[in-house]
Amino acid sequence: MRPILLQGHERSLTQIKYNREGDLLFSVSKDHVVNAWFSHNGERLGTYEGHVGAIWTVDVNSSSTLLISGSADNTAKLWDVSNGKCLKSWEFNTAVRCVQFSEDDKLVLIVTEPRMGYPATLQIFNVENSTTETVSSEPIYDFHPEGPKITVAAWGALNRYIVAGRENGSVALIDPKSGEYISTNKVHELTLTDLQMSADRTYFITASKDKSAKVLETESLEVLKTYTTDTPLNSAAIMPKHQEFVVVGGGQEAMDVTTTSSRQGKFECRFWHKVLEEEVGRVRGHFGPINTIAIHPDGRSFASGGEDGYVRVHHFDDDFFTFKFQI
Amino acid sequence: MPTNWADEVDGVEAPQTFTDANGITTHIEFRINDDGKKVKITRRTRNKLIHDKVNKAVAARKKWPKFGKERGNKPGPDPATTNVGDNIKLKLSSTGQVVQDVDEKHEAMKAQLQNKKILCRICKGDHFTTKCPYKDSLGMEDAAATLTPAEEPAAEEQQSGSKYIAPHMRAGASSGGSGSAGPDSREKRDEQPTLRVTNLSEDVTEADVSELFKRFGHISRVFLARDRETGACKGFAFVSFTMREDALRALEAIDGRGYDNLILRVEWAKSSA
Repeated sequence: MRPILLQGHERSLTQIKYNREGDLLFSVSKDHVVNAWFSHNGERLGTYEGHVGAIWTVDVNSSSTLLISGSADNTAKLWDVSNGKCLKSWEFNTAVRCVQFSEDDKLVLIVTEPRMGYPATLQIFNVENSTTETVSSEPIYDFHPEGPKITVAAWGALNRYIVAGRENGSVALIDPKSGEYISTNKVHELTLTDLQMSADRTYFITASKDKSAKVLETESLEVLKTYTTDTPLNSAAIMPKHQEFVVVGGGQEAMDVTTTSSRQGKFECRFWHKVLEEEVGRVRGHFGPINTIAIHPDGRSFASGGEDGYVRVHHFDDDFFTFKFQI
Repeated sequence: MPTNWADEVDGVEAPQTFTDANGITTHIEFRINDDGKKVKITRRTRNKLIHDKVNKAVAARKKWPKFGKERGNKPGPDPATTNVGDNIKLKLSSTGQVVQDVDEKHEAMKAQLQNKKILCRICKGDHFTTKCPYKDSLGMEDAAATLTPAEEPAAEEQQSGSKYIAPHMRAGASSGGSGSAGPDSREKRDEQPTLRVTNLSEDVTEADVSELFKRFGHISRVFLARDRETGACKGFAFVSFTMREDALRALEAIDGRGYDNLILRVEWAKSSA
């Protein structure tokens, strides 16, 4: 397959997300820019300008009308997807680490970092009528979760839970109405770098710097599968269709690379069989560690964003879909 | 298709377009290029119209005007932001043994090393001297006497990202005879591990060369050969490293590597002696 290289960022990518139909791909980076691309041919639709700090996280609602981005400039901004206009900017005391729309698009969760005496917060805002009315600046809930810092978070099915991955390698289940921890489970040795839900949110995959990725069940936080690699992982995603695969990616820190025999383009996205826990293939090409992976909802393509500032969109060849794992 | 000289314009034949049975359109045109030579340009295109059924919302989004930095741009991907990369084969295999493309040079190096016995100079163990676990205790013995032990603690510092190393601490530092500083240090400098880089392009500068090589270690000197009149690079340069190991690593990494559309060649510089 011929990957499409998207060069819209000058610094490393932090997150990429497809919209529900998969025709749009949103990418954010440390260079303060949010880009929107057509995933089919890599054509750029536009940019959302306004952030003045590194943008850590982005999410789009299921009707592709609203986009939310969270940044190190202590704001999260709500954008109109179609024209780039900023509809709302929420100010916080510290950098925003993670944002996500709920399944029904009515709520957004926003996780902020603890810094300089300010505690970490997990806030939930109502964005139900954001296109017709002005969005409220006050959260519906403002929790101050204790314990290790939350690095990644996601909504569970039906808004019953919020799943949070934390700096010490544990995952926690939080009640969105009370902010209380329902349960926790230490599954990794080092910090969690990514947490992506399955299509129906009943299970999710975690990626960690301890070189492994795990699939856990949402409700019980039980570890279902483990994939151990030889490189710290920055991102993991589940293939929604066609093949029972997960895709993970990461890479050595830039410092270590110069002292090893570095070959250009050797950072790889690794494909693992989800159930059989075996690696099935790799796609190389990035010039730096892979920071974020997203899979198109129809399972026919995927994209990866790297430390090198490139987003690579890959459309699978036909032989990808006919592959059968021989036991 | 025979061309009619009567159709010639500007001394070249008229362009032609024809479509053959497979639906491939061939467009032939003739031009005089910059060197005054006549060139024939053949373009073969196959136009395929693909009908794709998409969601109404997806089709609507395709029609959105571009905004932000893309405002006012034409439809279609912009080569400044969007390019197609080289073909990659995703080889899916069930063996669990992931097949990767082999870097020939890397493999050759590995094969070479397999034949030689790796001996550490400090403790005679089965590892490289610089990776010796007893580097600090056994390696620090006689810093002034020989070159080798002096390299070990210095090599340790080199690996942590090429800190500055004072001249008297470097490899090739003449510890005893630094009284006769002038000619002595100049000679010592020439004895330092130096690489000759050839097949550089014309507009390469000293800064480019040192930028390319400094990641392997501390460079003591870069000499870029320039043409007397034009000042353009003559195609080769000499890079002197402080540490021999860095020079070796640089040689392995840069030799055969592309730089500004030319494949560089790196060798040990033959000293004029």
